[in-house]
Amino acid sequence: MEAIRSFEQLEQYRERLKASENKDLPTVMICFGTGCQANGSRDVAEAFRKEIENQGLKVGVQIGFKTTGCHGYCENGPLVALRPSDILYLRVAPKDVSEIVEKSIKKDEVVDRLIYKDVNTKETIAQYKSIPFYKFQKRISLRNIGNIDPTSIDDYLLHDGYKGLAKALTMDPDAIISEVEASGLRGRGGGGFPTGSKWRSCKAVPSDVRYVMCNGDEGDPGAFMDRSIMEGDPHSVIEGMIIGAYAIGAHMGYIYVRDEYPLAVKNLQAAISTARDMGFLGKKILGSNFDFDIKISRGGGAFVCGESSALMRSLEGKVGEPRAKYIRSVEKGLYDKPSVLNNVETWNNVPVIIFNGANWYAGFGTKGSKGTKVFSLVGKVNNTGLVEVPMGITIKDLVEKIGGGVLGGKEFKAVQTGGPSGGCIPKALSDLPIDFDSLTEVGSMMGSGGIIVMDEDTCMVDVAKYFIHFLVEESCGKCTPCRDGLPRMLNILNAITEGRGKEGDIETLQELCDVLTYGALCGLGTSAANPVLSTIRYFKEEYDAHIHDRKCPAGVCKELITYRIDKDACTGCTLCAKKCPQECISGERKQVHTIDESRCIRCGVCKDVCNFNAVKIE
Amino acid sequence: MEKVTIIINGREVEGIKDQSVLEVARENGIPIPALCYHPEVTTSGGSCRVCLIEAHQGGRMRLVTSCNYPIRKGLEIKTDTDLVRRIRKGVLELLLARVPDSDVIRDLAGKDGITEPRFFKDEGEDNRYKCIACGLCSLVCEEVVGVCAISMLNRSREKAPGTPYHKPSSTCIGCGACVYACPTGAISMKDVGATRKIWGKQFTMITCSVCGIPYIPEAQVDWIVKTTGKDRAFFGKCPDHR
Amino acid sequence: MALTMKKIDAIISRYEKSEESLLAMLQDFQREFHYVPEKGMKRLSEILSVPESKIYAMGTFYKALSLEPRGKHTVKVCMGTACHLKGSGQILEAIERELGVKRNHTTVDKLYTIESVNCVGACAMSPVVVVDEDYYGHMRPSKIMDILNKYK
Repeated sequence: MEAIRSFEQLEQYRERLKASENKDLPTVMICFGTGCQANGSRDVAEAFRKEIENQGLKVGVQIGFKTTGCHGYCENGPLVALRPSDILYLRVAPKDVSEIVEKSIKKDEVVDRLIYKDVNTKETIAQYKSIPFYKFQKRISLRNIGNIDPTSIDDYLLHDGYKGLAKALTMDPDAIISEVEASGLRGRGGGGFPTGSKWRSCKAVPSDVRYVMCNGDEGDPGAFMDRSIMEGDPHSVIEGMIIGAYAIGAHMGYIYVRDEYPLAVKNLQAAISTARDMGFLGKKILGSNFDFDIKISRGGGAFVCGESSALMRSLEGKVGEPRAKYIRSVEKGLYDKPSVLNNVETWNNVPVIIFNGANWYAGFGTKGSKGTKVFSLVGKVNNTGLVEVPMGITIKDLVEKIGGGVLGGKEFKAVQTGGPSGGCIPKALSDLPIDFDSLTEVGSMMGSGGIIVMDEDTCMVDVAKYFIHFLVEESCGKCTPCRDGLPRMLNILNAITEGRGKEGDIETLQELCDVLTYGALCGLGTSAANPVLSTIRYFKEEYDAHIHDRKCPAGVCKELITYRIDKDACTGCTLCAKKCPQECISGERKQVHTIDESRCIRCGVCKDVCNFNAVKIE
Repeated sequence: MEKVTIIINGREVEGIKDQSVLEVARENGIPIPALCYHPEVTTSGGSCRVCLIEAHQGGRMRLVTSCNYPIRKGLEIKTDTDLVRRIRKGVLELLLARVPDSDVIRDLAGKDGITEPRFFKDEGEDNRYKCIACGLCSLVCEEVVGVCAISMLNRSREKAPGTPYHKPSSTCIGCGACVYACPTGAISMKDVGATRKIWGKQFTMITCSVCGIPYIPEAQVDWIVKTTGKDRAFFGKCPDHR
Repeated sequence: MALTMKKIDAIISRYEKSEESLLAMLQDFQREFHYVPEKGMKRLSEILSVPESKIYAMGTFYKALSLEPRGKHTVKVCMGTACHLKGSGQILEAIERELGVKRNHTTVDKLYTIESVNCVGACAMSPVVVVDEDYYGHMRPSKIMDILNKYK
């Protein structure tokens, strides 16, 4: 590995890489994000490797092969993209491999059954850029993911990697901070705090030692943007941190990665190692006077460690308890030194902001929220996956144009944003442009970018209960409102969903919400009220139905529903009776079966195994 | 030591920059209730949330814990507004529901008009005896005594002080600092004759050569001798008879 | 994974000897021994000069660490929001029923430990169950035993 000691040497190296690159070589790019790997992309990759080897040895045809980070269209994995034809194949299995090679690589044909087909119009599209899921996206953060091999620094360099750093090192550190301020970049982890402003405050605190940190703890359930960036483009995060460290005068950086992301840790560690070998980390970076290095720290399975002060305690090797933030961490952070903690996506934007300029970045987005945002679109939506769009897109466009609409043609009900710190936004507000301030105004927040789509079969009281239950388990236990208040809220929500709700419960919930909002120690507690308050605000009628009528309109809350067999659909196949753990389904073969409601535990097995859709929920 | 003037309840008071609001208030005879804060333990505070007050600074208002909120120029504090009382009541109600056997909590809650909480212990949890999980015991052991025999274990409702593996402590010196620091008297220390029992461990006490009363565990003397080099003979007499 | 001091020391020596490395060392114990052994904690306390009580507190705080030996196979049910909406609650109940133990417990034959975990980030495949390092998506109560039996 060549150590780069100057800007000229970097550009020469890059030119050499470009010269030896064969752009016309047909290449197979296989998505190796955690999602696709879980879905079998490793077997597909193996099949391709063998086929490519055969082709090379027996037929003399050269085919390139690359495993990349998450392409984002997770619903349809394993994903295989071809270059230079730009065809995207979906749900590829090992048995499809030889056909793909014969038809699409050696010839110019398309394997029809494997390309995108619109659920509603039945239109087929082979070119990935034309697929609605990708067409409306603006991929800045995700610029490289799906295009590069994350384990190859050369591939990163071929895609303009470390150009931002080279430019930054010729700039005055203060000018870098001004550029980031002018870009309007706001923290992508949830807080939405102006990044340049944070850097400036930190730099202003007199100290010999400063730290930069990356928050890779991505704890919001349903969010996997940071995972994809850390897995699929680790150098972009590293490059951003080096630039930030140079701007504020830090010489040591840390990336705190959630324990549940082993592939991210692996790819980041490898990237740091190669970056060091090539001279992008360590002493006298690119021949400048700047020294900087990065360590990785793994989380231990605690959502609260995504909170900045808890993260720093955890990094120091302690229990991850937050502390009062009356003195901010830019003043006294890690080891009580001035520190900048930014989210993965925030850091990953920095290199392109510096290279392309603040004006370029500020050209996207809305007045108060510049740039783009990566969202994880999950839940009851057709196209589950990762998307990046300019700030300001409406909820409706996100869910319908890019998301392809609600799964199974059901009625759209709400989106939940911001994880356990956020709230639900009802259908009536779906023309709301998505940006930091608009979401906060309606009682939710941007959070890390998880967008959970909910339909008519989602019970909003159950959703509130789900988030409070999550927070009860994740509470660090230090302060009274969170530790002792959340379980009381959960008890009330449990009572409501089990048909034991009573008059005054909603008011008590609201009072407890206030104790949390005003009295809790950290962000986990002070924002815990959002899921409850937003569902009460927009879906009060559901709460009322549970409390007064003992009914769950969405058909979710076990104690308030009954499972019934539809006599017109039941064929008497006896499968449900055989599988029922309570043995409470009776009926003769070929006769309509019935469920004994008094013994039914609503486990869902009968509905699961019935091939005739005869089990109904009331 | 930069002096700072702030306003508390309409009154100008003086303190030192970054001193806590609670300390400045107490120095000036303004009462604010507090449980988990101890002036000798710099890392204490911020847990019980009983000392909440309104802090007005830079055009913003927020509720903060006075025990660790630093005073800076331009700060105005209100200790007795409707909001403060309402939220503090909520906090005390939660505490009383958690430890109904604690006289300290009952008295404090009573002052704010709470006699019976709406939440009951039969809602599936034990009532924690008198512990409010404020952490003072473990902080005292770490910061003041330096032994670190106990720590705050677990998360959420299960958070409580304990020894490693809940076994009788191997490092505890029996000094009782945790017992004295605990705001609700939740830690059990039993002295019978010349024996003390705490954290599952038995200690032999040294008896004063003058009055014959057992007054300090040998293990504590060992610790003091080890860390300060003081002469062991010093401890032959109790403080009253030295 | 025989629990020997040699193995413990080998794990400790992988990292810089500072408090910062504590969590990583504890997690490596967890991966190697399926729990964090008392011997390991005591050794860490000795070598890093950190009081045992602090290390023990970490063992009780971080969900990734367990103080009791886990079963040979961990069955993790993802409780992320997308999985919840698609019925992870019923999946967890079904697994508890089939194995005869509640979550956070190990079967009598010490083969399986059931856990509910926070979002694993594979939301497109919800509901998700992870057995050891293997991900299973689009889970349904009826598929559970077939999958668990693969690990017997």
